[in-house]
Amino acid sequence: MDDRSNLLEVKNVVKMFGGLRANDNISLQVEKGEIRGLIGPNGSGKTTLINLITGIYEVTEGSIHYYGRRIDGLQSNVIASMGIMRTFQVARVWRDMTVLENMLIPAFTQGLSRREAKSRAEELLDFALLIRLKDKQAKSLSGGQNMLLQIVRGFMHKDLKLYVMDEPFAGVHQSIKGIIIESIKMMNQGKDVTFLIVSHEMSTVKALCNKVTVLCKGERIAEGTMEEVANDPQVIDAYLGG
Amino acid sequence: MRSLSSYPANSGTSKCKQKEDEAIDLHLFSQFLITGIIMGVLYCLMSMGINFIYGIMKVINWSMGEFFMIGAFTQYILLTFLLGADYWYVGVILSALVVFILGALVQRILIKPMFVGIIEAKMEYATIVTISMAIFLRNIAVAIGGPKIYTPPDYAGPTQILTLPLSGNRLVAFIGALILLGLFYYFIKKSWTGRAFQGVAQNRSGVQTAGVNVLKYDMLAFGIGTALAGAGGALLAPIFLVHPLCGLVPTVRGFEIIVIAGLGSIPGILVAGLSLGIAESLGSAFISPSFVDIYGFILLVIILSIKPYGLFGKPEREV
Repeated sequence: MDDRSNLLEVKNVVKMFGGLRANDNISLQVEKGEIRGLIGPNGSGKTTLINLITGIYEVTEGSIHYYGRRIDGLQSNVIASMGIMRTFQVARVWRDMTVLENMLIPAFTQGLSRREAKSRAEELLDFALLIRLKDKQAKSLSGGQNMLLQIVRGFMHKDLKLYVMDEPFAGVHQSIKGIIIESIKMMNQGKDVTFLIVSHEMSTVKALCNKVTVLCKGERIAEGTMEEVANDPQVIDAYLGG
Repeated sequence: MRSLSSYPANSGTSKCKQKEDEAIDLHLFSQFLITGIIMGVLYCLMSMGINFIYGIMKVINWSMGEFFMIGAFTQYILLTFLLGADYWYVGVILSALVVFILGALVQRILIKPMFVGIIEAKMEYATIVTISMAIFLRNIAVAIGGPKIYTPPDYAGPTQILTLPLSGNRLVAFIGALILLGLFYYFIKKSWTGRAFQGVAQNRSGVQTAGVNVLKYDMLAFGIGTALAGAGGALLAPIFLVHPLCGLVPTVRGFEIIVIAGLGSIPGILVAGLSLGIAESLGSAFISPSFVDIYGFILLVIILSIKPYGLFGKPEREV
């Protein structure tokens, strides 16, 4: 894999659900090492776009490239194996498994040795303050702890390059939000992981993201720093308009 | 009318007769209870296979009875022409292996294409494929084997538990089924591959976006599920005999057990399997063997009227 600065490139992507145009000719580039925010009112197509990037949906038109290689149409697990992990708005953990098992399942499929995987998992759980719960079943965790578990589970990927997060801060306790922010910064600065974060929490997005892309009604309406887009009339209209 | 006890000369004989009748009843009851338990565990093999495939792929495999039948035919051919009766247990393993390969191939060629890409109602399409497979395989069996009933050699002669006489074939089939169920349980609960299967069953898209190749696990699950049916067919071959429709009864029982247990519960399947086997056996013994197919359904209706999700089932919630 080469070291091009354009890590992710979405080119004129359209996604139709029957007659509904959920994503309408969206283009965006995410550079390596960025923490990019993806914002927009409800129903603007943010989750659809990340579902397209991570292979949950197939694009209707357009293409998605990762380090120059076209990835639309690939299976989710193939995309994940290339170093793109994601989280879901409602944490998708394996509720009947322990916290540690939740961490180890992805590692097991990536050929990490058991000892290596366990040591890495415990290190990450320790950082996320979940280590004391490692033998508890995931279903006994709170919603915020499950979200945290889902996020640190993605860090188990031995070659993580791009982390796509869908509403990681929604409905989580302030202390857990702090841990999530810290973990994002640590992985971005320490491991050069690029992030694409969908969020409605403007203050957090502003504090964390170098650049934001704004979607509205399936279209990309603005892009730039938080200050730039906050003053964009189209963005103001999208959030405050009728 | 005078009661029997009013005849002093006969009262001792009558009590003795009564005790003898009670002993015979208890003896019969125990014998049928054991037979019920044995059959229940054997039906569990089928249920476990259906349940496993459904758990992973959310597809009901209606051709399980035909994979059972293929297992039975394979065992018959192996024992008759290759291995001989003494190596019936090798035959069971080989039959399960043959059915595993066949099941995996069927999944790879006919079902997998629906799971690649985004196809709506893929589970429904796949279910229809399994119905077609059932018809196809049954007719192939008729075309090759004819409408005949084949009798494989016995695995063991008649035996007894304490004073109860018992069919040796049933006993070894029971032990074989218990070993297979134990191995399956250990594999699912303790091995990493088993845990990955649990992950796929609990949250398919979650596990796929974490890097697990769910399509590979689908194929393995279909192979393992059908292999359980094939092993069941091989174990039960001398009891149900071998013919193109020999898988029908175990398949129906398998589905009954799943409904009684509630989808997705391994201990539930064991409890439901044993309950069904016992109900069927005792019903046949003490009511009438003519209604053998009805007892399980009566049990099913009673359980569902009390617990609509089955004994161990839980309402499902999609996220």
